[in-house]
Amino acid sequence: MNSNSAIKIADGVEGIFIKNTRFNTTLISLNFYMPLKNETVSINAMLTYVLSTCSGRFGGFKEMNRHLNMLYGADVAVSAMPVGNTQLIRFVITAINDKYTIGGEKNVSAAADYLLSLLFEPRLENGVFCQADLLRERRKMLEDLEAELNEKRNFARKRLKEEMFENDPFGLNKLGTSQAISKITEAGLKKALDDMLKSAFISVHAVGETLPEGLFEKIGERFSALKRENITNCKTLPAPKMRDTVKEVTDRMDVVQGKLVMGFTSSVYGDDNVSLPLMVAVDIFGGGPYSRLFSVVREKMSLCYYCSASSVRSRGFVMVDSGLEAENAEKAKNEILNQLEIVKNGEFSDFEFNSSIKSICGSLKSYNDSLSSVDLWYALKIYNENLTSPEEMCEAVRKITREDVIAAAKGISLNTVYMLLPEAK
Amino acid sequence: MKKEIISSPVGVCCVKATLDSGLQVFIVEKKDYDSAYALFGTKYGSIDTVFSRDGENFTQVPEGIAHFLEHKLFESEDGDAFTRYAETGAYANAFTSFDRTCYLFSCSDNFEKNLEILLDFVQSPYFTAETVKKEQGIIGQEIRMYEDSPSWRVLFNMLLAMYQNHPVRIDIAGTTDSIAKIDDKLLYECYNTFYHPSNMFICIAGKVDANAVLEQIEKGIKKNDKAIIIRGEHPESDSVLSTYTEQNLQVAQPLFCYGFKLKTQGIMPLFDRVCFQAALDILAGDNSDLFEDLMNKSLINDEFDTEVFCGNGYASVIFSGESKEPEAVKNAINREIARLIENGIDDKIFEAVKRGMYGDAVKRFNSVQSIGMQLCEAAVSGDEVFGDLEKLSKITKQDVTRCLKQLKEETSVLSVVKSKE
Repeated sequence: MNSNSAIKIADGVEGIFIKNTRFNTTLISLNFYMPLKNETVSINAMLTYVLSTCSGRFGGFKEMNRHLNMLYGADVAVSAMPVGNTQLIRFVITAINDKYTIGGEKNVSAAADYLLSLLFEPRLENGVFCQADLLRERRKMLEDLEAELNEKRNFARKRLKEEMFENDPFGLNKLGTSQAISKITEAGLKKALDDMLKSAFISVHAVGETLPEGLFEKIGERFSALKRENITNCKTLPAPKMRDTVKEVTDRMDVVQGKLVMGFTSSVYGDDNVSLPLMVAVDIFGGGPYSRLFSVVREKMSLCYYCSASSVRSRGFVMVDSGLEAENAEKAKNEILNQLEIVKNGEFSDFEFNSSIKSICGSLKSYNDSLSSVDLWYALKIYNENLTSPEEMCEAVRKITREDVIAAAKGISLNTVYMLLPEAK
Repeated sequence: MKKEIISSPVGVCCVKATLDSGLQVFIVEKKDYDSAYALFGTKYGSIDTVFSRDGENFTQVPEGIAHFLEHKLFESEDGDAFTRYAETGAYANAFTSFDRTCYLFSCSDNFEKNLEILLDFVQSPYFTAETVKKEQGIIGQEIRMYEDSPSWRVLFNMLLAMYQNHPVRIDIAGTTDSIAKIDDKLLYECYNTFYHPSNMFICIAGKVDANAVLEQIEKGIKKNDKAIIIRGEHPESDSVLSTYTEQNLQVAQPLFCYGFKLKTQGIMPLFDRVCFQAALDILAGDNSDLFEDLMNKSLINDEFDTEVFCGNGYASVIFSGESKEPEAVKNAINREIARLIENGIDDKIFEAVKRGMYGDAVKRFNSVQSIGMQLCEAAVSGDEVFGDLEKLSKITKQDVTRCLKQLKEETSVLSVVKSKE
């Protein structure tokens, strides 16, 4: 499958149809990209809560869910996340194809219509959102924010990111802060919706056997009727604002196992054209079972139960994430840094290098077997100058040399160390 | 070899074969996919703590040994299976649950080679005193990680309070004390008992040729004498040990699991499982009156969920989530059960739920992993492959009401995890 092209369907609105005949379902997603800013991160995220749980056409969430059941269990998924230098707000619906319906219904078109109604037919009172809807969703959003404490692995990763990107919007929590959430008003939220519809860069994806008839035209008409202006530019990726000294932070909690999370900056970042070698370098460092962190730090030295590295290439962010006994934390930290030096010095084997390339390509080649993965692939690649398919990326990865990997690894520098340790006895 | 073709209502076909060794093989060809998924499993999990091979001498093994064995099987005398998979580019993993242990890979290239590795390492145990000792440290850390997981603890605390005898009440990985009692001899004893082809199954879905795969498996399965496995019995009373259990962990707001113990012998039949799932959707699904009421009263959030939880000798239905007042959620659930039994189920809701469940079943044919897991479920439970869609079409409101009547407050357990006050 070659890369799928984006077509312009309105000002700042593109449509991408990813033809894939292997699924029983069709997925349609509306992806809104806005500047990632402290002032708007919470209110934009709140839109996903309120718009998916009350509707001007269908009523409250009970009625909405009954309607989705009648659409043969169509799934609606909403989310807010940082992508590059933007905040992505997503509304996604997945519905079974018409040929699998019992009564021959036009299920996919009905699902697309439902999705659009969430954005264009919100439940309002006197031109603003209803108080009861806002209060209910505010409570849920605050609980979601607080619940980030529950699973300690995720909590430690979140704390590392906050500390490391304290001067950059990338460090913002995807839901923002409890203070900002508490201040959201019915009118403020309506304005946030209007701003999103008018100014966000919008990418509409349809993944399935056929493009639902007239889908892009219908969406194009909706957005053309709005005065679209100040549309977000997703392609610029200014360098993140980082501290130039290493910061170490330790939290203590009533836990049994410790967590060590280390954050690194990378001088190589951004468009896939330049940042792919970083992906391979990080994979050799701490990707699969062949990696330095798994094979040496976990298996050979038994310093951690899990220890792996990952990267967000759009922001040049590399993270090592491990779970360990508190008394091993310092030793593990030093060994992780030692293993990074080994990668920087090119002292990794051909087996590690080749295994990494094969593993990355194996994973890329299976993307088209998952409807949601294909959709998310294009949603997260928005900062790339050109659309690239997973197969095309696989081809590019195969061309990466050891020298490319070493050069990318040399640009990785320790920035922040976060530890979550049991309370001192 | 006995071979049959089983068709699903959505056009997916499964080749089911039983080899002379007793091994069951399930293959779904999806030739338009780029990848394939394969799983080699044994009907052996954490609940198999007592067994015999002659019907007279029963062996009691330490808790967590099935999971321990899973970890160790990846190793051989000259390296580990992960290293071999690294050379092919496949993703490999394994898991142990209450009633099964499964080894799996997914790949987009080299399927034949990957299957060869899977067949080889699962049939080649290699345990020494030294490697067992090393693994005790690694699994000890895994156990400690789960001790910090509130969602894990709240479920296992509920099972501990619900079951008096059945080993479903014990943690899958065991405890640091129990795994300290594991040695290489015990591992071999468990392996030689449960890793016999007649107790095992292979499930494959994706870009494969069923005939070629069957031929490879037939050649790759080692010959074995007929296995005899007699599992220890764990007579379980209808009552629960305790109706409430609580643990303190640092969490934002209390987590709860509220479960009803169900009477069962063996494995709950598929038809009943589908009925209970429909009953849970009608009672507490996101389109139900109860869900709306609890949400509007700020008693639940989107973490609220329901589950039919069952296996050999155990069955329950579970409501889980986060709530400032778990007791109030419990009371509301019981009131709604009584109301539905008394007032009956609305026709429109019944049809909407059935339609939603039908759509969910269709969606499960989308991914090779999901198809593989359905095949695995059929292999372990003995259910007809893809039988759920046919069962779903047959259920009635009366069937659902019969399920609701089995949910009795006196045999329920509320498990709560919350921060210290």
